Amino acid sequence: MNHEPKTSKPYADGIKRRTFIKAGSAAVAAATVTPAVAAEKPETTIVVAKGTDIAKMIEEGMAKMGGWERFFKPGMKVAIKPNLAWKSKPEQGGNTHPDILRAVVQAAQSRKVKQITIPENTCQPEKETFPTSGAIDALKGTKAKLYRPKPADYREVEIPKGKICKKAKVPKDILEADCVVNIPVAKHHGGATLSISMKNWMGSVDNNSRRGWHREGLHQCIADFSTFLKPSLVIIDATRIMLNKGPQGPGDLAHPHEIIFATDPVAADTYAASLFGKKPSDVPHIKIAAEMGIGCADLSKVKVVRVEV
Amino acid sequence: MNWLRRNIWRLLTLVASAAFALGFASERFPDAISFLTRLSPVLSFLGALSARAWLGWAMLLGVPLLVLSFFKGRVFCWRICPVGFVTETAGRLNPRGKTLLRRIPVLNKTVFMVIAVTAACGYPLFIWLDPLCMFNGFFAALRMPFTVASATTGIAFVTVLAISVLVPNVWCHRLCPLGGMQESMSLIAGMLRRGKTGEEAPGAMKHAMARRTLLAAILSAVAGIAAKRVFGPNGRKVLRPPGADLERINALCARCGNCMQACPYQLIKPDIGESGIDGLFTPVLKFRSSDPFQEQYCFHDCVKCSQVCPTGALRPITAAEKKKLPIGIAVINRKKCIAWEKNEYCAVCDEYCPFKAIRLVKHGDVMCPIVENDLCRGCGACESACPADPIAITVK
Repeated sequence: MNHEPKTSKPYADGIKRRTFIKAGSAAVAAATVTPAVAAEKPETTIVVAKGTDIAKMIEEGMAKMGGWERFFKPGMKVAIKPNLAWKSKPEQGGNTHPDILRAVVQAAQSRKVKQITIPENTCQPEKETFPTSGAIDALKGTKAKLYRPKPADYREVEIPKGKICKKAKVPKDILEADCVVNIPVAKHHGGATLSISMKNWMGSVDNNSRRGWHREGLHQCIADFSTFLKPSLVIIDATRIMLNKGPQGPGDLAHPHEIIFATDPVAADTYAASLFGKKPSDVPHIKIAAEMGIGCADLSKVKVVRVEV
Repeated sequence: MNWLRRNIWRLLTLVASAAFALGFASERFPDAISFLTRLSPVLSFLGALSARAWLGWAMLLGVPLLVLSFFKGRVFCWRICPVGFVTETAGRLNPRGKTLLRRIPVLNKTVFMVIAVTAACGYPLFIWLDPLCMFNGFFAALRMPFTVASATTGIAFVTVLAISVLVPNVWCHRLCPLGGMQESMSLIAGMLRRGKTGEEAPGAMKHAMARRTLLAAILSAVAGIAAKRVFGPNGRKVLRPPGADLERINALCARCGNCMQACPYQLIKPDIGESGIDGLFTPVLKFRSSDPFQEQYCFHDCVKCSQVCPTGALRPITAAEKKKLPIGIAVINRKKCIAWEKNEYCAVCDEYCPFKAIRLVKHGDVMCPIVENDLCRGCGACESACPADPIAITVK
């Protein structure tokens, strides 16, 4: 490490686990200041916005989360992780809805952050998935940089709490970001049962890492990686959810018309799984993540704040 | 200085040809990569004749040269052809000059006729001798990531250059089928003119020529039909780009390298021996590369290679047609499969399959993949993504 570790950078070059945890708890502490997410008895609070106007849902939902100011500060480096893995149109539910991506980028931009990066290691060629997903149009006129990382864009990090997955290659922009926002889509997944926020990190790590996860134990590796990379904010796209033939689709859709906001990825995933009628015990990586102490998978202990738009 | 003034026009056409061969403007117009090859009527029209197919409006790029040769003979060769210019210049390296040429018989019209007659039989022989195609192939080799295989598309052009140094002008004056085509056209034009004015060529010469031509035509027709029977159905099975004429690709393919350059994922490689001697340097699909940062499967919506083939070895197809055309079929080796053998959650093949051709069945604790043969199109998505090491699913 040839530079001073900065406390404001939660994932500075990977090994700064302690720094990271401090930053994480700082974010939780910050949460207590805000009205709706007052940290009372329930340990975890999530916000669920219901409606059809995505921009409005994001606005109202984030107001309940304590406002964007809680997450985006001027001069920050922001990294966003949507799911843009497949050549799938917005209405097919294979990718994060472009309106959500746009809303998050615009919010960051209007709070004068220094840089917005969107590294996305797609499954199908990015030349196909980025335009079809609507992401290219959504980002028009913004300063966000959407790209598929090349080998040189990755840094290898150690995952001290990982049981199987002990190392992974993660895009530099995510490691150096002051604020990481995970905006997955909730959908069926042939291997991982459901793909929500923790599974979404498989679209960040490099191909060799994710191939390894499949070989060595998919669910455990997903949970392992989530002990390392904890997003500042999770926004789950459940406006429409793919019930089968995932992750690529096209499959059958349901339309919960919901967007889920949280700082606890496990609670967020657990709630999203309930939209599929699944319990954490049905989705091994959620169950494992809760057991590893990454977050809360018991919905009875999670306070769900609802907003109708 | 004089040389430059004399050759400025040919230099310009050389640069322009090289630019097109290197894919100038092909970002915007993907077809541009095929323009140079389509200028040759030998490729465009004899290709279409042998493929018995309309190869799209771009094949009409062959019209100007056909018309020009009818009225002006070989003016293309001496003014425009990049190969003509380069070989002529290369010939200057030989101090003995043009004297060597006299001993060699004029074969260009015969070569052209063999191609034309066999094309009419549906199995063109020697179509790959077209000079524009060789020139194009040379630049295709330069553009692809360098491997021994990828360099082979440049071999023909380098060979022509080499023989042009050894025997100056032998290519243009004695062998080139495109030159032969132009000479034949102007001969026909001459005969038509004489027919109108009532003039006759000297009787004996006319008969000798007619006899020889007829004999050569019959021989090449026999050779074409025989080759079609012998090589056509007996080719060894290799994976071909979508739209390939599987039985005749070895004959139809001019080895110009357009498809290899057009493939956005660089999956098409010249074959070096897999498909037999007659399939040398024809395009084969290779899904798996050592670099996991490359997309490695034949993308189900992509038909770029089929759009740039000048001869119809790859028929121009639409994305909708491609979805019905099997390239091959995926086969699972259960002994290597993570799900079947180790009983771990995987199903990456199902995840990546764009055709939903993987059926998952419960086996032990996890879902295990089975290929639905009637849905599989052999695109290689599963093969390119399979995380098993060594991989458990391959397209055959």
